[in-house]
Amino acid sequence: MRAIDRHAWTNRWRRHHPGERLLLAGGGLLLALTLPPLTAGPLLCLLMGGATVLGAGVPARAFLAVMALPAGFLLVSAPFLAVSLDLSDGVHLAVSPAGAWLALAVTLRSLGALSCLAFLALTTPVAELVPWLRRVGVPAPVVEIALLIYRLIFIFMERALAGQQAQAARQGYSTRRRSLRSLGLLIATLFQRAMERARRLEVGLAARGYVGELRVLTPERPLSRSRLAATLGVLLAVALGSVLLDRGLA
Amino acid sequence: MTAIILAAQGLEYRYPGDIAALDGLDLRVARGRKLALLGANGCGKTTLLLHLNGTLRPFRGQVLLDGQAVGYGGKALSAWRNRVGLVLQEPDDQLFSATVYQDVSFGPLNQGLAEDAVRARVSAALETLRITQLAERPTHALSFGQKKRVAIAGVLAMRPEVLILDEPTAGLDPRGVAHLLAALEQLRLAGTTLVFSTHDVDLAYGWADDVAILGQGRVLCQGEALATLADPGRLQAAHLRTPTLLALATALGVADGPGSAGPPRSQAALIARLQGRVGDGS
Repeated sequence: MRAIDRHAWTNRWRRHHPGERLLLAGGGLLLALTLPPLTAGPLLCLLMGGATVLGAGVPARAFLAVMALPAGFLLVSAPFLAVSLDLSDGVHLAVSPAGAWLALAVTLRSLGALSCLAFLALTTPVAELVPWLRRVGVPAPVVEIALLIYRLIFIFMERALAGQQAQAARQGYSTRRRSLRSLGLLIATLFQRAMERARRLEVGLAARGYVGELRVLTPERPLSRSRLAATLGVLLAVALGSVLLDRGLA
Repeated sequence: MTAIILAAQGLEYRYPGDIAALDGLDLRVARGRKLALLGANGCGKTTLLLHLNGTLRPFRGQVLLDGQAVGYGGKALSAWRNRVGLVLQEPDDQLFSATVYQDVSFGPLNQGLAEDAVRARVSAALETLRITQLAERPTHALSFGQKKRVAIAGVLAMRPEVLILDEPTAGLDPRGVAHLLAALEQLRLAGTTLVFSTHDVDLAYGWADDVAILGQGRVLCQGEALATLADPGRLQAAHLRTPTLLALATALGVADGPGSAGPPRSQAALIARLQGRVGDGS
């Protein structure tokens, strides 16, 4: 998660308007769900991988790592889609060509959709997308809580890691029994610290005029017409390509 | 006699558990000067600062702004905090936004300024603390010193008349301290009144105009920095020591300079004075 966040904050497209990346990811997602999966799936994976690695300059390893976990789940579950179970006359398990096609189609469609999300996650920080949520009508308290959680997760992880290292330095994890005890103590302490911190954060915010609304401004980033047009063009090309290729295969 | 912009009279405050944190505390903050609140750990410095912007309400006594006792209603508090800014010691207690720019924009937006004005304030505050290059960085990827400066910028962007800082140099490396003091000096030149708490007598000696020494929940003495810090008895009573430069200058016999110059207040000044003495051949 920290690796994804780091790439999201440092990639080459970081200073572009987030709407541009949202269009590419969202458009890709739409195509993955509507187009023939046998061709659109792989094409989208190529496009998103290319955009992430060649466009935004995120290392290919990072893209593959983000794809690997869900892809693993897909590959494990695909064989079960291929098998059909017939209970009308006793129990019959069968692998049919139709079932195999279905499994392949679902897997490729999912991979295509996943690649769109991987692209978005690796190129756009959550915090950039959240203000946009507000503009499309998500209630302010929900958006504010999301932003606070995003910020506090990192503080919490830092504290948890530091606490764990301090315990380990004093042999807190030398046996299984002690590990369990140390972990329990750490969790109890972290909970208490989190409450204290929340109270101090309230003081800090109140000193800056907080009266119940966390309004902030983000730096202005102009939408680039040429990049938007290019994005639409690429999506269109993928759509056409996948339909034509699909006909060629059939 | 300079005008008193902010004052505390007979403040008393107790935390649950019966510890008297403030016990009849009086303090005067002169407009346009740098006041150091000097005291050992746990002497009530932070508690006092939290009273000066109305976060805590005293059990007895009052806080005066321009000679008027301030109220604790919503409107009065908000007007108060627009004039008196507070920077907490731990920057993570203050930074809540994902990016530096967002966080600094929070205060001015709460003051009801228009978007353009807020953007101008944010740029100016980042500029003053020389962190413009950090504007688009995520808050969680900053070093401690950077976070500290962002926290100060967030309060600075509100353009307070009085800027209160809790242990501003704690945890900073020497270069960080130098940068911070330079930025604060710039603010003072622009007319901002500065109040900061510290247990570092050398910092108070080298940099403050006025010093208030805290102990046992009271201000033990308050006055011009040199005069106040020249009395070892007072400092010892508050579990503090004599500033290093002052002790050295006294021991070397150069505490009183040529003419009516007082003791040297920087390392460079002390060295210059010693070299001058060698040059005289005396």
